[in-house]
Amino acid sequence: MKTTRAEIDYSALVQEDRVHGSAYTDPDIFADEMTKIFHRGWVYVGHASEVPQPGDFRVTTIGQQSVIMVQDEDGQVQLLLNRCAHRANAVCQTERGNTQLFRCAYHGWTYRTNGDLLGVTYQDRYDESFRKQDYGLRKVPRTEMYRGFIFGSLNPVGISLDEHLGQPVKEQIDLFTDLSPEGELDVTAGVHKYGYRANWKFQVENGMDGYHPNFVHRTFFASVQRKTGANLTDLFSSGSIGQTRDLGHGHVMLDFRAYNKEKGTGLRAVLPTTPGGQAYVDALEKRYGKERSAEILLSGGTHLLVFPNLALIGVQIRVIRPLKVDETEVFLYPTLLKGVPLEMNAARLRGHEAFYGPAGGGATDDLEMFERNQLGLSAQVDPWLLLARGLHKESQDSDGTLVGQMTDEVTQRGIWRQWKKMMSQCEEAPSRQRARSGMQQAR
Amino acid sequence: MSIDRHPIENFLYREARFMDEHAYDEWLALWTEDALYWVPANEDDIDPQRHVSIVYENKARLEDRIARLKSGAAYAQDPKSRLRRVISNIEIKESENGELTVYSNFNLTALRRSRMETFAGCTIHTLRPEGDSFKIAYKKVMLINNDEVINNMTFLI
Repeated sequence: MKTTRAEIDYSALVQEDRVHGSAYTDPDIFADEMTKIFHRGWVYVGHASEVPQPGDFRVTTIGQQSVIMVQDEDGQVQLLLNRCAHRANAVCQTERGNTQLFRCAYHGWTYRTNGDLLGVTYQDRYDESFRKQDYGLRKVPRTEMYRGFIFGSLNPVGISLDEHLGQPVKEQIDLFTDLSPEGELDVTAGVHKYGYRANWKFQVENGMDGYHPNFVHRTFFASVQRKTGANLTDLFSSGSIGQTRDLGHGHVMLDFRAYNKEKGTGLRAVLPTTPGGQAYVDALEKRYGKERSAEILLSGGTHLLVFPNLALIGVQIRVIRPLKVDETEVFLYPTLLKGVPLEMNAARLRGHEAFYGPAGGGATDDLEMFERNQLGLSAQVDPWLLLARGLHKESQDSDGTLVGQMTDEVTQRGIWRQWKKMMSQCEEAPSRQRARSGMQQAR
Repeated sequence: MSIDRHPIENFLYREARFMDEHAYDEWLALWTEDALYWVPANEDDIDPQRHVSIVYENKARLEDRIARLKSGAAYAQDPKSRLRRVISNIEIKESENGELTVYSNFNLTALRRSRMETFAGCTIHTLRPEGDSFKIAYKKVMLINNDEVINNMTFLI
């Protein structure tokens, strides 16, 4: 274990109304984040619909570790570490595909899609103590799924995914998924991949920042207004009745429901002029009933961060992939709705492309802001970033969530509260120590 | 054999220069009213109705793009990328309705915030003769890195 440097006092770096700039710039803190947040907690990995058939796989990461998400022969989605148990060669080279087995090219070992070691070349040069069942592809210790969203934890013990998400987050995932009249998403519409040279948490926070859109995205809002007459700047002004919400465990959201209800805006407003719109409403009502359908349409999806690396925004599943303290990749998977006409899904894609992706008219301006943030952080006479907006007006809702106005920093405070909690854990979690001593006993 | 390459090559070079020099209005004027501009994501041949694209725009959406770039508040192009591209390997196919299908390769160097990047790919243009020149009815750009991470491609490609 390399634990020579002094412990960092995270409670001093994150205060109620401010955060220290080193949380975005210090490579040691980044390494600590990978250990304590990404390699220990629950991390979103992928959606079950990405691997619909046995043998379908996709390679992704948990923190900095290469992971294969694969549907095995028995129809179970497995999360396997992409590393041959023999000499650590990565066994899967392509990002997505279908395979009957994983074959390590280096010495020819083969693995079944459930990770079991199938074949060892020239096995006669091992003695009888060599047991193939000991050398399968290592599994992500815990894999759990909610509504098709697959999460992994490299920590063999800890709170369940259910507890990690909590009821308010599950409700939001339901609203996002139940836009489909079949209650299922289809995440096979490809991916936008973009990157930027700044800390990963800028993307995490900014996606839940209801204060910036009127400034950073005014060119986009202007074009929406030119075409449709809709003035989106209302929603993101300090007079808006839209809300920011802290759902606990670092999960936060922008809540447009109150605003949509008052103004008659959102998905409900555009459906009457959308081809097939009425048929869609009928299909929703048939499955969910009138009341629930109204709830689904009022919300029109969600605008949610599931700490630390997943956001559900617009039609997309967004995955934030930290590479270095000042380098980040972001993958956006626009979702299709099962049970709606092709044209409606195509319209979801076109709407997404207008704002998102490396050539889009919105998110690219955010990336520029993140890089300007990282430049600004080099100026350290006063090293603090403020989180104070609306702090004096925060209130607790009946479901236990913390609520503020759309332009308040309720969301950033919620993110940093969880960050501080996870980062203040001891260097090595007790659970890991237990797991290790257990492994030693097994030998 | 009968096709005169020069006007076609000149047209592509002129379009390239407009893109390199951020001559937005001049570039927009090259397109027909029923134009389609397409940069596929992840693979060159996808079904755009069920697979996301990097760009999939009709004329109205192209006008939005240009209005945004001209507004002075498109921060992803502030500062602007410095661009120069080479267009080559031009192959021309004449179709029955008088339109031309033109295949070309490009190699683009982009400089922004002290970082040099290279973009490359194959472009298919459908050019419709108009007066003594052409208009672009269709343009598909197949980037070699369309399945990789791209940081900022808010300039014209």
